[in-house]
Amino acid sequence: MHVLDRIARWAAVTPDRPAHLSQGRRLTYADLRRQSDALAAHLACVLPDDRSPVAVIGHKEPEMLVGFLGAVKAGHPYVPIDTSLPEQRIQRILALANASLVLRPADIAHLSQGDAQPPDRMLAPGDPYYVIFTSGSTGEPKGVVITLGNLTSFVDWMMAEHAPVEGQEVYLNQAPFSFDLSVMDLYMSLTTGGTLFSLVRDDIANPRQLYQTLAASQATVWVSTPSFAQMCLAERRFDAARLPTVRRFLFCGETLAAEVAAQLLDRFPAAQVWNTYGPTEATVATTSVQIDRAVLARFPDLPVGYPKPGSQILITDETRQPVPPGERGEIVIVGPNVSPGYLNRPDLNARVFQPVGGQPAYRTGDRGYLQDGLLFFEGRLDHQVKLHGYRIELGDVETHLRSLAMVRDAVVVPQMKHGKVEALVAFVILAEPPTGAAFEITQQLRGQLAERVPSYMVPGKFRYLDVFPITPNGKADRRALIETLA
Amino acid sequence: MSTQHEVLGLLAQLTEVPDLPQRLDLPLYETQVLDSLKTVELIVSLEEKFGIEISPAEFDREAWATPRLIVANMESRVGR
Repeated sequence: MHVLDRIARWAAVTPDRPAHLSQGRRLTYADLRRQSDALAAHLACVLPDDRSPVAVIGHKEPEMLVGFLGAVKAGHPYVPIDTSLPEQRIQRILALANASLVLRPADIAHLSQGDAQPPDRMLAPGDPYYVIFTSGSTGEPKGVVITLGNLTSFVDWMMAEHAPVEGQEVYLNQAPFSFDLSVMDLYMSLTTGGTLFSLVRDDIANPRQLYQTLAASQATVWVSTPSFAQMCLAERRFDAARLPTVRRFLFCGETLAAEVAAQLLDRFPAAQVWNTYGPTEATVATTSVQIDRAVLARFPDLPVGYPKPGSQILITDETRQPVPPGERGEIVIVGPNVSPGYLNRPDLNARVFQPVGGQPAYRTGDRGYLQDGLLFFEGRLDHQVKLHGYRIELGDVETHLRSLAMVRDAVVVPQMKHGKVEALVAFVILAEPPTGAAFEITQQLRGQLAERVPSYMVPGKFRYLDVFPITPNGKADRRALIETLA
Repeated sequence: MSTQHEVLGLLAQLTEVPDLPQRLDLPLYETQVLDSLKTVELIVSLEEKFGIEISPAEFDREAWATPRLIVANMESRVGR
């Protein structure tokens, strides 16, 4: 069944059930259907039927859901953009997306009033459904196009794997909608008549408020990055007594440490813990596995899972030939969940989206190996890192740092702790000898950088050098810089 | 060693602001020297250092907004 039909069904079955709860605001399934129909009817009047992207900018407001579905019902993919991004980055994304329209919550509230029939512009499986922008190594964000067929393939798998109780679940939404982890909770919830409970920035910034909101959420399915759960575990009373409804933890976005999984199983004895893996280019996740006591006992470094049915994981060597099971190489994803490519980037698409056996395939740049059918992830083959689940190209940060007048040169490296990136560290050669204390210089650089890149890309630590150590090839020696952090 | 000295030393180390003991009124959250993850790290470090329990669920950001406030809070828990 079409994703939109699955969602619309709940407007008839449970019209008054909240589809979305955020900051005390409530959007029912009946509201969602009526408002997105009205918005779609309006969009069809003002936009040609050309599949051009519509940008939806906000932070977890119910109007964002109306905007997503309204755009899609009008035959346009949506580009979700979170307001935590600096204005300069938002404008660049809008230009790269060539968005035909920009919708903010106030616009959506205004344009979704009244009753109207949606236009007859239903997307076909090969049509773009959403475009999510991720960090690009040159400093330019890349728009990953996900089709209706990609999304359907992902949602079908999630349903089969997790068998949610229709019409009863409450999904915790931690990630902003511009981060594709949110696609997991958003669409699992909406297609099965669940309630999506969004945490907002203020909740996450203030621990006291966070634990109160979590307790009030009555979430049954917890969807977050492992970092977020790890942070919550610092509170000893973060357990089944305080959150008795949680029966499933779903993790994606970064490495799940065995210690975090073990603590969750201790504190939530009746809940299941699942690890998943996948890049945005292959629709949220491609592999998953339940982490139980037996898996914990067997694997000190947790597996990221078995491939979803219908998709395949290949491990290849430098010549792109598959390697035998157990050997390390690049993870290649093959199957119906693989994106048709980046928006307007034929050069890059030709390099990383090359079909395998006639099926769409994506070379992830991730390093890993297969053992007994399970995939193990071991990091990157290039300079991309994951920090608290956010995907960051170090080149993206470096390009923007070097563009600052105060900076002559900059190298950004990850600082690791227990196999995970703990912080980004910027090594900077200043353009002029420093006049103030390092703290003031750092604050200035942080402030200027935050006008250009998302806050999670602003390095947490700055070190000032006169010269960089150099490799025999004459490049800045990243390894030597990383060693100074030990 | 005084509580103030120990708390400031720990805070300077965690935030990587070596002269933090001289910046007692630095607004830690406004300047993004602390964020929620670092706060939790700080709480865990303070618990280990002083052998006490601090509940993040009872933690109020406003009450920990500057080094001076954090020192006062810790002194009220463990004495000077």
